[in-house]
Formats: sequence, C-alpha cells, structure tokens
Amino acid sequence: MVRLGMVIDLKRCASCHTCTAACKAEHHTPPGVFWAKVIRVESGKYPTVIRQGLPLLCMNCAEPECEKVCPTGATEKRPDGIVTVDSSKCVGCRYCSVACPYGARCFAEDWKDYFTGDRRPSSAFAAHSRKMWLEESDRGVVSKCNFCADRIAEGQNPACVDACPCEARVFGDLEDPESEVSQLIKKRRGRQLHPEYDTDASVYYLPAR
Amino acid sequence: MQFEDFKPGPRAQMEWGFGGRRRWRDGALLMALFLGGIGAGQFVISTWLIESVTSALIGLLIVGVGKTVAHLIYLGQPARFYRLFLKPSTSWISRGLVFMVVFVAFGAAYLAPEIGFEWVPWTMGSSLSDALWFVALLGAGLVMIYDGFVLASCKSITSWNTALMPPLFFTYALAGGVAMTYLTMTATGGEILDENTMLSLDAVLLTTMFALIVIYVASMAASTATAKESVRRLTSTRLAIAFVGLAIVAGLMVPLALTYLHEASTEGAVASALLAASAVLELAGDLSVRHSILRAGLHAPALPEGV
Repeated sequence: MVRLGMVIDLKRCASCHTCTAACKAEHHTPPGVFWAKVIRVESGKYPTVIRQGLPLLCMNCAEPECEKVCPTGATEKRPDGIVTVDSSKCVGCRYCSVACPYGARCFAEDWKDYFTGDRRPSSAFAAHSRKMWLEESDRGVVSKCNFCADRIAEGQNPACVDACPCEARVFGDLEDPESEVSQLIKKRRGRQLHPEYDTDASVYYLPAR
Repeated sequence: MQFEDFKPGPRAQMEWGFGGRRRWRDGALLMALFLGGIGAGQFVISTWLIESVTSALIGLLIVGVGKTVAHLIYLGQPARFYRLFLKPSTSWISRGLVFMVVFVAFGAAYLAPEIGFEWVPWTMGSSLSDALWFVALLGAGLVMIYDGFVLASCKSITSWNTALMPPLFFTYALAGGVAMTYLTMTATGGEILDENTMLSLDAVLLTTMFALIVIYVASMAASTATAKESVRRLTSTRLAIAFVGLAIVAGLMVPLALTYLHEASTEGAVASALLAASAVLELAGDLSVRHSILRAGLHAPALPEGV
C-alpha cells in the first residue's frame, strides 16, 4: 500500500517563501489562504539558539483529527494517504480548522482580488484566477493542501517540491523502505510535528542541526 | 492575511467567537452555544421545578429558533446545513444537532396539548406524556453538555482539551435556565410555586460554577506553556474585563451576594428586583464566560521545543 508523504530538511530551508508562492500560483488561492507557508521560529537555549524557517502545510495525517470531527463527511482520506476536502459537501463550520493542530486549514468566505481587495476581478488574469479557484474550492468553505493531487496523478511532484530552490523538500512513498523519503527519515532521524496528538503526520522534518 | 497564522508561538484560534476571521459574524457561533444552553436549561427548570408551560415553550423556542438561526448565520454554506447531521459516529457537532432535534421534537410533543393542539392522543400527566417529557429532558441535558465536548475534543487547544469543559458548560446552562425562568415568570406575571427550591438551586449552581472556574484556572496555570498563556490572557489582558470582571465578579459573585441579600430583604418588591438583577447578571456572566473561553483558546506552537 502506498502512503504518500514529504520530508522537509530544515537545514536546507532558507525561508525564501518560494513554496508559498508556487502553491499560490498552482492553486490560485485568494488573499488570506495559505496552503503552504513558512513561519520563522527560534529554538534551543542560550548559547545554542538558532532561528530557522519552518515550512508548514497540511500534514495529510494517517489519523487525521480533521476527518474525525468533520460533521458532513467532506473531509476524507484516500487510500494513498492524501486527505481531501470535497468543497461541495463542506458547510464551513470550521470544526476541522479548530481541531487541526498544525493550522493547515484555511477558510475563505469569498474570492477576493489581490490588488483591490474587491470581489470583482481587476484584470484578465485575476478573472482567470478566480475561475480556477472556484473550480478547485468554493465560497464559504474550508480548503487545504492536498499534496497537489492533480499533479501527482500526472506523475509530477507537488508544486512546492519542484519549486524549492534549496531542494529542501522530498516527496515519495513512506511505506517503501527504499524510497528517498524513507531513507532520509531513517538516516537523519526525521520527526513529525506534535506526535503526542497521535495524528501520525505524513510530513517529516529533518533537524536543522 | 491573519497575523495569527504566521505566529511561531501559541496561536489563537480564529474560527469561533466574536473577533474571529469574520469579526462579528463568527460571534454567531458563540450566540448559538449560549442560546442552546440557556434555552435547554429553561425547559428543564420550567417543566421540572415550576411546571410553567409558557416558560418551557420560550426555552424550546430559544433552542429551536434562536440557536438554529445563529448556527445558520455562522455557517459558510448555510444551504447545506442538513449535511451537519451525517457523522454522529465521530463528530460532536453532528451529535449535538441530533440531540437538539430530539429535544425540540419531544419537547414540542410534550407541550402540544397545552399550546392549542388538543387533538393529540395524549394529555399532560398521562404515561405517554411522561415518556415524551423524559426523552425531552434527556435531549435538553445533552444539548446543555455537548458544546463542552465539542471544545474538549480539540487536542491541540490545551485550555479546551480538559474534562472540566462538559461539567462547566452544563452547570452554566442550568444556571442560565434558572435565570431565564425567573425573568420569564417575572415578565409574564406568573407565580413561582416553589421559589425557595429554585433559589436554593441557583445558589448551589453559582457556588459550583465558581468552584469549577477556580479549578479550571488553577489546573490550566499548572499545565503546559500554552495553557499558561491562555490563563495569562484570561486574567491580565483585555480579555480579563470579560472573564474576571463580567464572568466572575458580575456574573458569579454579585448574583450570589444578591441571592443572600434577597433572603434578608423583608420588602417583596425589593426582593424581586434583587433577584431580577441577579438573573440578568448571571446571563451576562454565562455569555461572557463562553466568550472568554473561546477567545483564550490557543493552539500549541507548531514547532515544539527540541526539534
């Protein structure tokens, strides 16, 4: 059984936000919606404190809290491990957003133009972007990263993986012990965020030092 | 863009309650929780302690109409509301709505003979009516407690993920029911047959609520860094006005004092005014404590120490 997952090397991440931009370009997410983002965190104790970027996205957990709490069945887990949101079933109650420990879910009441903040597109590209967004998601519902399921279906990597200039992201099958992701996790002690919640996240982080 | 989404430390939940992503509209969810609690509580008190059909009907309407409308205002896609009932096996929102439907349906059936539907095949006091009342009471109790479970099920919000949430919400709902019943009876000129029992119950509930709040704050203050930050927000930021000022002082201490003052008061009008003031303050405290708990809900930082 395939279980798709990602490994992010914190040592390589330069916090350049290219992943954020690539995700936005791929999915036409409106302002305020970040399926992929990078936050700046400090860790360690004096004198070994480091400041690092922490790329965040949906962890596509094996035991997703969002799926358990969703009252409508809009959130589902695919056999390959990707957690999806069916926007035609979502009612926008945002229980999933509250229950997700990783802040991966985004709610957009409506599409808005990046430059005017208006609901009417200000350019031909904005109109195209609006059309693409409404095809992928909807107004008043929750959306999130799905590891670029459409690209995966075409045999490609997720957009953030291909766009990362530092090659900090690797995508592959977590169940295959020979895959690059499995090897990296094993050799460099990859860790999941918040294992204490028993979500069994499919995104692993390689330590910054 | 919300600043909270990019914060490295504890991150405030921005989905439920006034001041969320949609500012005022997200407050509709808080109102739904509040109305559900006090409406169900009013039905229980009105049918159990004082047998007032008018008050019970108002309680039923608060839940059936008030809570429903508040939920619909909150939802991003209200036209699909029926989908909310689909997963009671794992989702507390689904379970809560099922409880709400059971409560409203059986409560309405129980009151039906007294509110103009004499053609129904049961009368108040019959075995069937008692059975309907029992199921309605069960539904009301579950409506009063389920929102505590909704919050407690969120693992990453330490200040919610505590076993204290359901009893706290249940007690507040019951006390809100006592307050609403008293105000309804006063406004409609109805006589409260067993006023002393109701007042004693109110005093017990206020004391219990105070004890639960103290235990809640003390246990959070001794918990994780995120829970401590929630307590700091509750007690020493602008939120303290709602939590300490309105919920604890105005909503608990003053009503408790007024309840005892009422017993010392010899003039009937003064005593009634004191009790009415106490009831209004209790309701304000109920709304305020729910608002404070929602707003103090913080997710643990994305990167735990040591990674």
